[in-house]
Amino acid sequence: MDIRLLRSSDIPHVQHANITNLPENYFMKYYLYHALSWPQLSYVAVDISRPQKSPYDYPRIVGYVLAKMDEDPPDGVQHGHITSLSVMRTHRRLGIAEKLMRQSQRAMVETFSAQYVSLHVRVSNNAALRLYRDTLGFQNESVEAKYYADGEDAYSMKLNLSEIREQTAEEDLLLEQDEGGPVGSLGSAEGVEEKEKKRKVKMGRGLGVGELVERNESQK
Amino acid sequence: MPQPLSAKESSLFRQVIRNYEDKQYKKGIKAAEQILKKNPKHGDTLAMKALIMNSLGKTDEAFALAKVALQCDMKSHICWHVYGLLYRAVKNFEEAIKAYKFALRLEPESPQIARDLALLQIQMRDYQGYVTSRRAMLQPKPHIRQNWTALAVALHLSGELSEAEHVLTAYEESLKNPPSKSDFENSEAVMYKNSLIAEQGHIQQAYDHLKSAGKQNLDRLARLELEAQYLVQLDRNEEAAKIYRNLLDRNSEYKKYYDGLVSALSIKPTDHEALMAIYNEYADKYPRCDAARRLPLDFLEGNDFEEAANKYLTRMLDKGVPSTFANLKRLYSDSSKLTVLPKLVHKYIEHKESNNEGDEVVKVNGDTSKGASAAYYFLAQHYNYHLSRDLEKAIEFADRALMLEPTSVDIQMTRARIWKHYGNPIKASEIMEQARTLDTRDRHINTKAAKYYLKNDDNEAALKIMGMFTRPETVGGPLADLHDMQCMWFITEDGNSYARQGKLGLALKRFTTIHNIFDVWQEDQFDFHSFSLRKGQIRAYIDMIRWEDCLREHPFYSNAALSAIEIYLKIHDKPLPNGTNGIGEESAEDIVEKKRAAKKARKEAQKAERDALAKKNEANKLVKDADGEPKKKDDDPDGVKLAATTEPMTDAMKFLTPLLQFSPKSIDAQIAGFEVYIRRSMPQLPYHDIPELIGFSEKYLLALKCLIAASALDREHPKIHEQIVRFKLAIDEDSKTLPSQSQDAIKSEFTLLSGSDTTAFNNAYLSKNKDNIKATISGFKVRRTLSPKSASEVEKSIVKLVNGDFITFDEAKEGLELLKSWKSGQAEAFKASAADKWPKALAFACKESSLPVR
Repeated sequence: MDIRLLRSSDIPHVQHANITNLPENYFMKYYLYHALSWPQLSYVAVDISRPQKSPYDYPRIVGYVLAKMDEDPPDGVQHGHITSLSVMRTHRRLGIAEKLMRQSQRAMVETFSAQYVSLHVRVSNNAALRLYRDTLGFQNESVEAKYYADGEDAYSMKLNLSEIREQTAEEDLLLEQDEGGPVGSLGSAEGVEEKEKKRKVKMGRGLGVGELVERNESQK
Repeated sequence: MPQPLSAKESSLFRQVIRNYEDKQYKKGIKAAEQILKKNPKHGDTLAMKALIMNSLGKTDEAFALAKVALQCDMKSHICWHVYGLLYRAVKNFEEAIKAYKFALRLEPESPQIARDLALLQIQMRDYQGYVTSRRAMLQPKPHIRQNWTALAVALHLSGELSEAEHVLTAYEESLKNPPSKSDFENSEAVMYKNSLIAEQGHIQQAYDHLKSAGKQNLDRLARLELEAQYLVQLDRNEEAAKIYRNLLDRNSEYKKYYDGLVSALSIKPTDHEALMAIYNEYADKYPRCDAARRLPLDFLEGNDFEEAANKYLTRMLDKGVPSTFANLKRLYSDSSKLTVLPKLVHKYIEHKESNNEGDEVVKVNGDTSKGASAAYYFLAQHYNYHLSRDLEKAIEFADRALMLEPTSVDIQMTRARIWKHYGNPIKASEIMEQARTLDTRDRHINTKAAKYYLKNDDNEAALKIMGMFTRPETVGGPLADLHDMQCMWFITEDGNSYARQGKLGLALKRFTTIHNIFDVWQEDQFDFHSFSLRKGQIRAYIDMIRWEDCLREHPFYSNAALSAIEIYLKIHDKPLPNGTNGIGEESAEDIVEKKRAAKKARKEAQKAERDALAKKNEANKLVKDADGEPKKKDDDPDGVKLAATTEPMTDAMKFLTPLLQFSPKSIDAQIAGFEVYIRRSMPQLPYHDIPELIGFSEKYLLALKCLIAASALDREHPKIHEQIVRFKLAIDEDSKTLPSQSQDAIKSEFTLLSGSDTTAFNNAYLSKNKDNIKATISGFKVRRTLSPKSASEVEKSIVKLVNGDFITFDEAKEGLELLKSWKSGQAEAFKASAADKWPKALAFACKESSLPVR
């Protein structure tokens, strides 16, 4: 099983995994929108032990996480959002979902300075709740009544990414030491702060494929 | 030249444009009509009205009006621009480009027209045109970074890599202050430039650039991966190893990183001890890591393998991981591993049992019966797998697993699969349905249940099951929703099922839908030509472009295309009496079946009538598709028109052309190509005029081209053998009508049949492939064609094949189909022998029991 970044060419099989596993489905363009807006955030699990059947075999996707940044955060705080996550029934209990999530969360911090990541989950989905709450440390923010098309409520959950942020800052420091750059907590702390300030201005300018974003937010 | 308007009307005209942009179409039409009252020949207004009408779904009227507008004002760039936009809307990009170019000639400064033209050029992959457009667009606005990036992308795609790099550098040099390191657009532009340097093969330069400009790049993963890759290419292995270790600490589930580390450390693939030191290190460091434990099983051998596999299996079975078998089956290509793995699992079970003194309920970590049931489950899958198949044993172990875990969906799924392999789709579908009811909220098992209904040709039940998870608000029901959501597997399987039932119209309808979805996927990239420049994610955009360039090589396409071509071949060979969805090949052997079909057809007709009525009542509702655009009504929902084609070979080309273009290395594609071309080359009429004759020999050459390509892929393929002989017979027969020039051309190319004695050629093939059932059947088939008087001997020989040791279920099915198609008296004998061999298979069962009760 490989865990790696999602590429455009994976999308047909990601779409296949999604429509096989979940009731919330999207057409190809919505996947492209993710892959081309935040190519660092979406990951796939690939079954590499499957024998090749033809010269045009595409990697078989057995799990994926489709993730994004909030384009226009209402609170002005940069944060990521999990659009969809699923693992094929035949490949469950291998910890794939957790591994996919951890890769995505890390990239949200590193590339887009996310402060937290949010998601929605069905109130009845115990397996997913166990993963998010117990394994990954998400917390319930609120219940959104009738969030899903079939009338089920959703928990709106959040995970503060401060731990990864600290780790990332540490790695930056190490890198600078390695390269003989400026050393010292003062220098690096300033660097981080500056990053945040500037990033706020850069993002959230409604750069999305407008209609696509709106419709899919309401469609879920 | 724009026609002048009064001040009041000019302001009205501006309002029309605003209305259009704000999608206030009705208001826009009203305002336009107000202008036209006084100026009925005002070209720009007519054009805008046409544009708005098009947005309202009145395409034909819009085109007519746009033409009037052009007649009124040939020199208006607005008229030409609108004309182009209309063509763009109907996806006629070539005409749209022409119209835009006219508009641009009249108004060279218009940024909108330039942008629209550029977008179409890149969509059509007119790289030269795109470079020209992007250069022109950069000139007036050099302060915008996007314009530089766009020109670089254009140059990159047209293959001018160093030019592209220079353009990016020129922009960088124009900056007075260096961008901040948190500037995302800059961060990505740096990585894009880096990829351009590397793509030119300048690895040292790329590395230096990465370590300077890319030092603190926000895309940390890409930075590390590239650094490792460049270091390897620069032979700086020690440093590369360090980076690979860094990458493995980030993600220890990626084979590429292990391979990178191993090669950077110069460990030989045969040095298992050194390799194991690496994998063990990571297995210890990351207790939940799978890759470090699983990957060594690929290269270990003998006792080392047995020990490692035992450890791996014990760990997985104790945890009750259901994917254990799926994760290991690749090892089965090694026959010794194929023997060791089940042996270890049997031992595992013995061990568990002896520890529990015969009590089958084994507690693992205070948990339930995971260990034992997971082991039985593994064995069920093992004996169900084609390389180690023993279906009786498979069922036995599945049942044992089920005793321990009676509500396990996974075990039931495997039982259904076993019955599928028994050749009993009815029973398989029943069990899958049972599995579904164990967890009705899980879509995965719901999907499987639907798939098995389709395998059993119960399309209605399949759709009903799928409908439990589709969006209820979609107009047109579950099927429409599955189309909207591009559910490729369902549409394809539904089509295959209809094809099996001889409902060729519906089957063609489904495969055409797949073809159309690929059109949509191709069009989907359009918006991203501008979107990605705004977002600045250029590498991802380039990756998308490259993928879109070979979009149709995807098996989702080729599978549907091959099935569609097969149907068109059937229609060509034997036009349907009613040309619709009747039973295609009723062999008159089955009157009951026929009556049932008739009854079903009556019912379907009644249902269709009811549906039509319901649709009529619904007609007043505005039907919209997923994009919120008005949906065009489908005037051939059941594919009746598709199947009624009088030119099936021409229609087949729609699927064949992309197939041969994008999947030339697929032997099935080449085989299909031959079948289509050889039929196209058959003269439809006894007499033909000269031009047609030329086309006629051309088609022989095309068929031959496929045949040569296919035989290069697999010379001994049974279908290729048949085609070689058929080709020879066809050109011999047509030797009189073929011009001598093309005969010479064919002769010099067609060297596949050594000598001219087809019978000897066939006999040689038969004796060479006597252990290969499929090849033997092909050889017999050819023998029967070459010498019709050998028919009864050939048919008897085919019956004998059933009793051989190596014949598979599918091969037997093929043999029976062949005998039936010859209306051979031996079919019953064949069936009887096959029934002895596969007692649970429906295909060979005698009549009474084979009639499914539905």
